[in-house]
Amino acid sequence: MDNSVASVATPARTIGVDLPLSVDFALIGHQESWRAAADVLAVLRGPERTPLPDDEIKDILPWIPPRAVCHVDVGSIVRTKSGGARARGLYIDSFIPPDRLEAAYVHENIARVRKAAACAIQAGAKIVSLGGFSSILIEGNFDQLPERRDTVFTTGNTLTVAFIVQGIQKMCALEGRNLRRSTLLIVGATGDVGSGCARCLAPIVKRVLLSARNLERLHKLAAELQADGVQVEIATDLQQFSAEADVVICAASLASPSLLLGRIASDAIVCDAGYPKNLSPTAEMLDAKVFFGGLGQITGGMKFTPDFHGVLNRHPFPDVVHGCLLEGMALALEHRFEPFSQGRGFITQERVAEIETIAARHGIYLAPLYNADGPLEDGLDARWNGREDESIGRKTKTKSNSVARYFGRRENWPAYPIFAPGVNTDR
Amino acid sequence: MEPLIDVNRSLRECTSLSPSAPIWQDILAQAMTGEILAAMNYTSLSEICDDPAEVADALEHSECERGHAAAFAAEGGKIGVDVANNVGAKHWKRLREAFLRCITERDFIGCLIVQEIMLESFAVASYSRVGKVGPGSLGETFARIAAEEGEHVDHAMSILRAERARDAQRFDDKVYRLHLDVMTTLAKMLAKECKDGHCEVCHANCVKPSLFEVSLSAAELRGASLQQYLKTLDLLGIPGEVTLTWITQLPV
Repeated sequence: MDNSVASVATPARTIGVDLPLSVDFALIGHQESWRAAADVLAVLRGPERTPLPDDEIKDILPWIPPRAVCHVDVGSIVRTKSGGARARGLYIDSFIPPDRLEAAYVHENIARVRKAAACAIQAGAKIVSLGGFSSILIEGNFDQLPERRDTVFTTGNTLTVAFIVQGIQKMCALEGRNLRRSTLLIVGATGDVGSGCARCLAPIVKRVLLSARNLERLHKLAAELQADGVQVEIATDLQQFSAEADVVICAASLASPSLLLGRIASDAIVCDAGYPKNLSPTAEMLDAKVFFGGLGQITGGMKFTPDFHGVLNRHPFPDVVHGCLLEGMALALEHRFEPFSQGRGFITQERVAEIETIAARHGIYLAPLYNADGPLEDGLDARWNGREDESIGRKTKTKSNSVARYFGRRENWPAYPIFAPGVNTDR
Repeated sequence: MEPLIDVNRSLRECTSLSPSAPIWQDILAQAMTGEILAAMNYTSLSEICDDPAEVADALEHSECERGHAAAFAAEGGKIGVDVANNVGAKHWKRLREAFLRCITERDFIGCLIVQEIMLESFAVASYSRVGKVGPGSLGETFARIAAEEGEHVDHAMSILRAERARDAQRFDDKVYRLHLDVMTTLAKMLAKECKDGHCEVCHANCVKPSLFEVSLSAAELRGASLQQYLKTLDLLGIPGEVTLTWITQLPV
């Protein structure tokens, strides 16, 4: 980056708020719960007005056409003569109702994503990240997106995979586990994210269990991994596996948190990388170490206009965003306006390493680990270098009491389901 | 302007009618009142136009809206009900007053924004929904009039887009000012419940709770109307994040 702003923005002309007209990146997302949707509408409605009742929100939201919700200004740790490098973007919500993520609404939802994409193109975004179900809907069908000349689209899945893999490695280190002796289960294994995780982690675990709905794709992925000497077992039913997994990645595209893992090691490390979350709230995993995966943290600063901090990114740590959206931001900061992640099954270790390097160059790292009960570690020392071997055998207890530094009392923590505009699952 | 239907005329007995006739009666009454108000607005608009072509255009629109009102009255007759109208009803009166303020200021653009962007958005969207579920010719009439109102909007859009191109900030400020005035009233009209008491158009109790009996709902009509309004504002070029804020701040 050779200047302080990735693109020159025209002065604002909107009412009441100074906003730039042209943007470097756009993030397309949707709300994963009605509570999250209510919070977004509450910010727009303003503190002086009574919040909309829940039934009114459910009545109104499905009628809102996709549109920009706020501007997002992201900073890099790269220093220039005029200060830190920055990129300007838009968050565009497709306003897919949280209870309409099922297959029955696929055509309606694709139409919404197309309209959101048209908003991004009209805004002049050079790169667009497709968050959450947006990329699932368009995956492999990028020709379904509107005609565009100077706008590229990325699913952001490669950086999501990077942060899932880093999270698994970090959690293993924190728990004193040796990943090389682990049996890894991936749920949603044939998706873009699931298969990317398999390619990255299979070479460094003892055994891999792959689960997905499509048996043909499972066979194909298994063959690919076995060709590299990996011990692989596949099943469409989680109960069919012959071994218990002690490391689990949940990357299925589920419309709601409904996954019950069944037979896994009682103290398994479980990464829920779904958006919406995969794991059912009724899943009983008392001794399992569950964390939310695929999340990164921006250390160069992030600003929402209007202020949606803690609303569009409902995490117990500041400036945490899902990897899929961060990929577009990182590429914008890097001035690499290219469709880095497209289609399904193209995520390799090399591509993951490349996007990790780009993100890290701009101060975007794995986010501190947390789950529905709160943080699992101290967020102020969150940077992780991804080398799990250095920590093997040095058991460090995960923390759960550092949240007060950011949010004070526990009742002030953002409530489950945790929200941020999009993580890609089962792709 | 002479009312098409005498508001004091007693309604026909509905005892032998289909169970849904009283519901359609009120839906038709609201639509007819809106059309008569639109006719009055266009007549008023003709009085501030300088260009004879614009005067003729406004008067033609007025006649067209009267024709719509007459068509709604006729549909009532077909199902055996009298269709009342009441442009003096509290909400409609406020909408008329908002328009007349633009007339007083000789604000041609303001008049178009109120009538074509705000009132017609609601008419097009709600008539379209009614057109889909209305029985026989009643449904067809709503659908036909929705299409004709849509053409009115198209005509006005070119004028308004040109006006916005001259000074977008000034134009958007004007739309917002009128939005606060007019859309607040429309939002109250389309709220799921009439919290301010009887609307003075429905012939008996509020029709909203009964709409489900004819496959409609107040929530659906409001949602479709707000969506149409947002899409119309998008076509004008007003930023989506701005108009999103506007509609989320409306009363419910």
